Amino acid sequence: MPGTNFSTNRGSGAPPAAVLITVGAAVCAGIAGALATGLLATLAIGAVALGGAFFVSRASASRPNGNDILRVRRMLLLVDRGGTAEVKLPPEFTEDWAELFTKVNKVVYESKNNPSSSSQLEQFRKQAELAADLLREGKDPLVESPELRAGPLLPLLEGVKGSSSLPVVSQLRLGEEEELIGAGGDSLPPDWPKPDRMDVASMEGGLQELIREIESLRGTLSGGANGMSPSASDDAALRTPAQLVDAVVLTAADGIEDLAAGLMRANELASVAERVTNRATLLALNAALEATRSGSEAFAAIAEETRRLAEFAREATDTIARLSSEIEYKVGETITAIHATSEDAKTSLAELGGTQPVTSSARTARVQVIRLLDQSRGLLQSLGVQGSPAREAVSFRGRTPEGPIPSPEDNVENVSPPADKSHAEGMLLIEGLKPGANLES
Amino acid sequence: MNLGTRGALTFRLGDYCFAVRVEEAGGVLDADRLAQLPGVCDPLAGVAAFRGEMVPVVNLAQYLGIESPSIQGRGYALVLTRGPDRFALLVPEIPKLIPGRDLREAPRANTDSELGDLFESVLENDTDQFHCLNYWRIFETIIPPAGASAGRNASTERGN
Repeated sequence: MPGTNFSTNRGSGAPPAAVLITVGAAVCAGIAGALATGLLATLAIGAVALGGAFFVSRASASRPNGNDILRVRRMLLLVDRGGTAEVKLPPEFTEDWAELFTKVNKVVYESKNNPSSSSQLEQFRKQAELAADLLREGKDPLVESPELRAGPLLPLLEGVKGSSSLPVVSQLRLGEEEELIGAGGDSLPPDWPKPDRMDVASMEGGLQELIREIESLRGTLSGGANGMSPSASDDAALRTPAQLVDAVVLTAADGIEDLAAGLMRANELASVAERVTNRATLLALNAALEATRSGSEAFAAIAEETRRLAEFAREATDTIARLSSEIEYKVGETITAIHATSEDAKTSLAELGGTQPVTSSARTARVQVIRLLDQSRGLLQSLGVQGSPAREAVSFRGRTPEGPIPSPEDNVENVSPPADKSHAEGMLLIEGLKPGANLES
Repeated sequence: MNLGTRGALTFRLGDYCFAVRVEEAGGVLDADRLAQLPGVCDPLAGVAAFRGEMVPVVNLAQYLGIESPSIQGRGYALVLTRGPDRFALLVPEIPKLIPGRDLREAPRANTDSELGDLFESVLENDTDQFHCLNYWRIFETIIPPAGASAGRNASTERGN
């Protein structure tokens, strides 16, 4: 983040150690002086103690990035562990690092539950797991694993290796370390090989590589905009909102097709009923004709009953025909409405960029990745690499490095509307086709 | 007024309503199984089975030059009887039986002069006027009486 200076945090643990050593040396000098009972001896011992305190202070000041190394290593272990639902922030992670830790934890945790969060993150996680295993065994990951030498973790591991002059594990509280790696104290990783001095450039390179990796993950979540398309299995798992609308329309069309088939069958039966009614009407007419010609009262009574029967059948047949016509008309209206709604939804989704594969969790992961990118850039700025080629390399595509750094809201502003909403709207269409639903609307 | 009939079967052709006295009517049947004959004049629509006999069916609308499009493909045959002779009128709708008590004879001034010799009388009720035609004369103009007599003679000979 702009204005954040991490150099104030570097070596924050050194002054207390120096003070302790100085105080201890002074105490020792006092005791030795008392024992030696000589002013000269007391002065000599005090001078030695002060000299020791001076060298300890210098040694502490020479490792300003110890906490950064710790944080990076913890971040790797976090990726290895897979994240947790509830973030318990270690005390070393403050301010921007704390937010970065939270984001990484969330993204990694969501990637476990979301297959669409891509094979990129899975590959990254596997490499981090391999690196963590090698670290636990006390081996150099860059020496033991060729995959890590070519992987995205290379700069980061080099940075960690180059800055591991401190006994890292010993600076963690035992309970935290056990919680972090999920093992007992016996399985704590041994000390890392100690290089001569801290390599800040390697740290920056590692962080930049991490940013590139996250950028790649963002591209994957954006539907292969950077050329990386999801695999076939991911295609099956991901559905664009337009495809979702198509699926809803298809489901509705299937239901309407069944309804239309039932209507056709009902129409056939109505036609048979109409023929029967016509025959009954003819029978009644002929009976009435014969009764009129013969003048028989009995024949007339039978003819009258036959006429009533035919009239009743006629009314029933007319009612069936009218209802059938109304249902056909409403089904036609419903089909038209579904198609119109589908087209409107597709148009809206296209306007909102909804052609990208987004599910609810994938969108959340995408937003998290974008925020994570911003956090990483802020960290890079804090490390003092503004305006460097690496800074330009990690800038957003199509945006000038001099331009303002986009906020996460800027990046997610034009994404498609929530898939849940589209799904809910699609379900409303289906609900409208259920028996008993009000078709008038 | 004594109309000399117990009632009339009425039907509509175009803008005209026609009536057949029940004494002349033998019955009504569905014309969906009307069999068309080759080489006959246009007003003869075909033949239909009525109580075990074949009766010729005359398209009255076509004979009178009345446009009645709904009669094609679907209609009813109103059978007229005169002794042993029978023929049927093809009508587009099921005829309605109106009792004689509801009918009265219309004044001669209201008759349609275009019907000429075919016109016999006019009956009316509270809503409509019904033209009673000499349907047998129409039939004899289509099928000459000689043929009908020959057929009747043959039938008589078979009966003997």
